[in-house]
Amino acid sequence: MSKVVGIDLGTTNSLVAYVKDGAPVVIRDASGDALVPSVVSVGEGGSVHVGREAQRRLLTDARRTVYSVKRFMGKGREDVQHEAEHFPFRVSGEAGGVVRIGLGDKEYTPPEISALVLRELKQRAEAHFAAAGEVDNEVDRAVITVPAYFNDAQRTATRDAGRIAGLEVLRIINEPTAASLAYGLDKRHAGLIAVYDLGGGTFDISILKVEDGVFQVLSTNGDTHLGGDDVDVMLMDVVLRELGDGSAVAQPFRAADKLTPEQIQEIRKAVIQAKWDLSDRTETDIVVGEYKKHISRAEFEELIEPIVARTLEPCRQALADAGLQPSQIDEVVLVGGSTRIPRVRQAVAELFGKKPHSELNPDEVVALGAAVQADILVTGNRDMLLLDVTPLSLGIETMGGVVSKIILRNSTIPATGSEMFTTGVDNQTAVDIHVLQGERELVADNRSLARFKLRGIPPMPAGLPRVQVQFQIDANGILSAAARELRTEVEQAIEVKPSYGLTDEEVERMLLDSFEHAEADIAARLLIEARNEAESVIQATEKSLRSPEFPEIEKSELAPGERQKIESIVAGLRMVLNSSDRETIQKWTHALNDATRHLAEVMMNRSVKAALAGKNIDNM
Amino acid sequence: MAAPSELDTPRSTIQACPTCGAGAPLDAHFCPQCTKILPLPRRADYFSFVGVPRRLNLDPSLLEERFRSLSRQFHPDYFYNATPAERRASLERSSYLNDAYRTLRQPAGRIEYLLKLEGLAPDNPTEASRKVPPSLLEEVFALNEELDEIREQRADGAPAETWRARLERARQPIERKRVEHETQLEELAARWDAGSSDGERRAILESLRDRFLERNYIANLLATIERELSST
Repeated sequence: MSKVVGIDLGTTNSLVAYVKDGAPVVIRDASGDALVPSVVSVGEGGSVHVGREAQRRLLTDARRTVYSVKRFMGKGREDVQHEAEHFPFRVSGEAGGVVRIGLGDKEYTPPEISALVLRELKQRAEAHFAAAGEVDNEVDRAVITVPAYFNDAQRTATRDAGRIAGLEVLRIINEPTAASLAYGLDKRHAGLIAVYDLGGGTFDISILKVEDGVFQVLSTNGDTHLGGDDVDVMLMDVVLRELGDGSAVAQPFRAADKLTPEQIQEIRKAVIQAKWDLSDRTETDIVVGEYKKHISRAEFEELIEPIVARTLEPCRQALADAGLQPSQIDEVVLVGGSTRIPRVRQAVAELFGKKPHSELNPDEVVALGAAVQADILVTGNRDMLLLDVTPLSLGIETMGGVVSKIILRNSTIPATGSEMFTTGVDNQTAVDIHVLQGERELVADNRSLARFKLRGIPPMPAGLPRVQVQFQIDANGILSAAARELRTEVEQAIEVKPSYGLTDEEVERMLLDSFEHAEADIAARLLIEARNEAESVIQATEKSLRSPEFPEIEKSELAPGERQKIESIVAGLRMVLNSSDRETIQKWTHALNDATRHLAEVMMNRSVKAALAGKNIDNM
Repeated sequence: MAAPSELDTPRSTIQACPTCGAGAPLDAHFCPQCTKILPLPRRADYFSFVGVPRRLNLDPSLLEERFRSLSRQFHPDYFYNATPAERRASLERSSYLNDAYRTLRQPAGRIEYLLKLEGLAPDNPTEASRKVPPSLLEEVFALNEELDEIREQRADGAPAETWRARLERARQPIERKRVEHETQLEELAARWDAGSSDGERRAILESLRDRFLERNYIANLLATIERELSST
């Protein structure tokens, strides 16, 4: 059997773990290191470096090295404009499109960069299994974690990254929930748990109720743009200001804007070291070349207080959503490297009025939980069950730019919601639908997830069609939709593509090592073939319907309603054409073939007759 | 926006298991013959789907227990290696269970749902919530007048403590109405649960509907005051 793993795809570091003899363990390299820095560097000649080696290259070839790419997942160019300047690499992309990262003369999307990190973890795991003497050491399936507060586009981007890396993504699960699973292994009692997860780039708080081995998330909240990276930027600003205005005693660099990207990375490395030092000591020095700045823990804490404060509001909101007071929480679990900062621990302890747990390594606990979930999925082990929620409300745009909520935040997933649509003018056959995620009233204040056109509504007077659109959020927190016109029972599959996402074709093109995944390629090819066939049948049908003699044929040879039936199937087939469900596409294609058989015969007969008639004329 | 028509009327009381073809009761979650998970043939009512009595006062621990137990039977985690049809059935049943649990968990959710089941829900809930219930006309009129004056006061630059105190005072009669309604709803709910004849229950339910719409209206009024208080 090939292997399954759990992967924590972090902003700063990533890890891979698996279940060995019933217990999860992280996989380490030869030197005992479990963390793979989430850094990718592409050399002049196109050589790709991932992890520690890429991290080193930040100091020698910063412009060709990417870190913290998780911050860009599922984002549009506009979302990251103000932030891009903090990074040495080039951030671009079309307006309204996916972010692209330029390394040398090539451009990569964030899922492609993440896929390189995932492939590194996959290879690390495969080497581990090979070394352990496993016969089949291929790792082809994984559970990957995401921040609980990730929206649909960010989750989809993560799943795409997995696919590009050649992994079947069994499940996307939330980091705090994964952590609770890892803790749940040896604490199988009932209670209310708060998981406070402050990582490199994201912050999550989840409130869970544990009973009978069911880990039920009651509420979740967070900030997908808050973490250790922000602490680093604050410290860097302090150093850069001093270097810039010349007040420092010794200064290797004159001013921030004269620094090379490599020098800036050197400063970044130095402030991160100082940050780490201050978790164990009360004072330290930031040392960059000859420059040295003394900093005390008190100064550091004052500096980062705004960041700590920003984590507390989501905690209060999550408690309120769960209908709980802080004192009702039985246990508090700390996750993420940034929870090593003493001030963070203190603030959490104060808020909940109890000392938080940190028995498990906060860097490793998420990967351990992901491994447990992967094991549950493949073995069907029913000791534990994780019931998660959707972090953000799902809604659609209604009149006047107002959002009508369909699935409320903190609903247990999978979840469904439906909405009825009708038409505004007579014989209208399509309705535009705009799907959003967020808590605000107005469309403009929420995240646009997707826009799609609901087609194939049978022509009727305005207001008469009753189109029910059913939204489904699956166990990954990812959205899909289906529509049904209730009067005619016409079903329509709808693919909800994120506004800032990749198409299936793009993902296919990006597949790394596709030769390793012949099977997936075959499925993709069959899908493309099915689509091509469907398209040619549609084209042929439409050509017949548009032909000059068609009105006459319809009048004299077709049954009443025959044309309408054909048209509605064409509309249906168009609807499913871009889905990745090959069977459905084929089903509709066959239906169209059947529906047009009679018409084709009629047309064939007529053309034969016409040809014969022509011959007769020629012969005369 | 689930309309009442979403609850299909059962055309038959039995369904065929798609796996083994055996007949299964329409309410069964799993095939009695081959034990495979069954597709969701119709939108069964939430109470019977979850397996709790159709009551407005529901033992919360019973609901929780049923929710956990059914989650353990339906969840997609346990159907990863199953056939596509079983996976779809698992997704359908899990989603439906989660929707049912969310609806039945809160007393207000149960009342609203029961009204819908009994065909007593307003056709257009948004519109219904905007219409002033006759019994609240007096309070609403007074409040609107007061709000207008307060807004004027604020526009003229009155100090925050003055208009805040006035808003707080304006809130009090509405808050009293809210408490009053909660009590009435609880009483009516208890009476409906205990009701013996259909006619009696129908009459109680109609009163419940009126109180419920008023309650929603009151909640909106309180939210308006809250917005006014938090605006600067």
